[in-house]
Amino acid sequence: MIVVRAPLRISFVGGGTDLPDFYQRYQGRVISTAIDKYVYVVINRTPLIPYISARYKISETVDLPQKLQHTRIKAALIDLKIYKGIEIASFASLPAKTGLGSSSSFSVALLKGLFAFLGKKLHTQEVAELACRLEIKLVGEPIGKQDQYAASFGGINIFEFNSDDSVNIKPLFIDYKIRLEFENHLLVFFTGVTRSAGVVLKEQKENIEKKFKTLKEMSDSVYEFADLLEQGQFKNMGKMLHQGWLRKKSLASKISSGFIDDLYQAGVQNGAWGGKILGAGGGGCILFLSPLNKKDDIRKAVKKVAKKYKLTEFKEIPIHFVQSGGEILFNADRNFF
Amino acid sequence: MKDYIVEFSRKVHKSLEDLPFKEIIKALNMLEAVYERDGRIYVFGNGGSLALATHWVSDFNKTVFSHHLHEHSRRFQAIRLPTTEEELTAWANDVGFNKVFAGPLENYLQDSDIVIAISSSGTSENVIEAVKLAKKNKIPVIGLSGFDGGKLNRLADAKIIVQTPKDEYEVVESVHGVILHLMTKYFKDYFNHLWSLNQRKKRKKLSF
Repeated sequence: MIVVRAPLRISFVGGGTDLPDFYQRYQGRVISTAIDKYVYVVINRTPLIPYISARYKISETVDLPQKLQHTRIKAALIDLKIYKGIEIASFASLPAKTGLGSSSSFSVALLKGLFAFLGKKLHTQEVAELACRLEIKLVGEPIGKQDQYAASFGGINIFEFNSDDSVNIKPLFIDYKIRLEFENHLLVFFTGVTRSAGVVLKEQKENIEKKFKTLKEMSDSVYEFADLLEQGQFKNMGKMLHQGWLRKKSLASKISSGFIDDLYQAGVQNGAWGGKILGAGGGGCILFLSPLNKKDDIRKAVKKVAKKYKLTEFKEIPIHFVQSGGEILFNADRNFF
Repeated sequence: MKDYIVEFSRKVHKSLEDLPFKEIIKALNMLEAVYERDGRIYVFGNGGSLALATHWVSDFNKTVFSHHLHEHSRRFQAIRLPTTEEELTAWANDVGFNKVFAGPLENYLQDSDIVIAISSSGTSENVIEAVKLAKKNKIPVIGLSGFDGGKLNRLADAKIIVQTPKDEYEVVESVHGVILHLMTKYFKDYFNHLWSLNQRKKRKKLSF
C-alpha cells in the first residue's frame, strides 16, 4: 500500500495569468501558498483481483480503465498502461470545488502514487509537469497550471509561466514570525456553494483578448505583493487584494454573483483591508485580510449575509501555511519477492 | 599572538558575513516540511563533521522543544549515521569505507525523509556515495560544504557552502557549527512562539 498526499492552496495575486492564451503573449505570474488541508490518495496493489477499483465519493469497480467515470484516474491509468490489479482511494480535509485547488492536489498525489506503484520516483518539478499534462492535455480541462505547481512544491512561492510552457519557481523567504502574523490577519470562509473551475475559466478564456491589459497588470503586481509580504505590510497587501478583486471581477460575469458581492461588502464595510474569492470564482471560498481587532466584527457580518442567502454550509476555515508539497507518507509496496 | 587570534577571528567573521542566506532559508523550509510529514532527518560526515552531526542531533531531538517537550505530540526525528560504532566498522571492514554512510542510509531511507550531508571539502567519497543514494530516491539533500563546495555543493538541493581557501578546515567546521546551531535556534524560537500563542489562546478561552 502507498499513501500519498498533496496540500491545497490559497492564491493571492495573478490567478488567470496561468492560462496559455495569456502566458504565450506575456509572462504569467501567480503568488500562492500551500495550506494545512490535504488531499490523500491511497493505492493498493491487488494482484489476485483482476479489476480496477476507484473509491471516492462513489465506488467504482471495472475490468478496464476506459470504463471508469473518474476522469483523472481513468486518463492516468490509460496513460501509464495500468490495466488491472489496483485499488485507488481518495480522502480530503475539505469538500471538492472549494476554490482551493483540490482537483490538482488530487492529480499531484495520484501521479506521485502511481509512479511509486510502478517503482519510479519523481522530482517535484516532474510531478507538477505531469499533473498539468494529465489535467490539461489528457483530460482536457480548460484550467491553468498554478494549482499543480502549488500542490507539488508546497510553501509560499511565485510561479512564473513562460511562453515556451516552462515554469520558474521562486520561493518566498519569510520567517515564521511574519508567516504566523500573516496567517493571523487572514480570514477564510467557505461559502458552501461549489462550482467547477472549468465553467468560469471557459468564459474567462474567451475574454482574454479583451482583458489582456487587466491580466497584465495582475501579473505585474505579483512582485509588489511579494515585497510587501516580506516586509510584513499586511494593510497594503489587503489594499492590493482589493484592487485585484475589482480587476478580476471585471474578467468574467460568473466570478461574482449577488451573494458574493454582499459577503465581500460585509467584510470590507466591517474593517477588512481587502479580500478575494479563492479559485476561479462563482462560489468556493472568500478570503479577507483584516486588522486583528476587526476579525470578530467581520465574522458576525458575513454570517449574517450567509444566513440571508440561506448558505447552510457556510463556515470559517482556519488556515495555516505549510512547507510540505506532494509527498509519499508511506510506501509498503516494495517487496517484490 | 594577539595578531594570530585576530587573524583567525577575521577569517571566521568574513565567512559568517558571506553565508548563503537564501540556501539556509531553503534548508529551514525543507526541515519544516519534513516535520509536517513526520519524516526523518539523517545527518552524517567524517571526523569533525561527524562530531558536529552528533551534537546537532542531540540538540535537535530534544533542546529544540525547550521545556515543553511533553506538550508536542510530534517531534523531530534526527538520526546520525551510522548510529553505532559497530555498524561503522562492519560496513568499513566488510564492504568498504565508502559505504559507511550509504549502507546504513539504505537500510533506513523512506520517501518522507531528508538528508543533511556535511563535508568541508565537499569531496569525501563516502559522503557523496550517500548523497547519490538520496538523490536517486528523490530525497531532498541539505549540503554543508566548505572551500569551493566540491561535488557535495553541486549535488545538494540546499547548497550551504562556507567559501574559504582550500584546507581551512578549522574555519569551515566552526562556521558549520554556527549554521547547525542556527537551525536548532530557529525551530526552538518557532516552537516557543507557537507555545506562547497557544497559552494565550487557552487563557482567552478560560476568561469566557
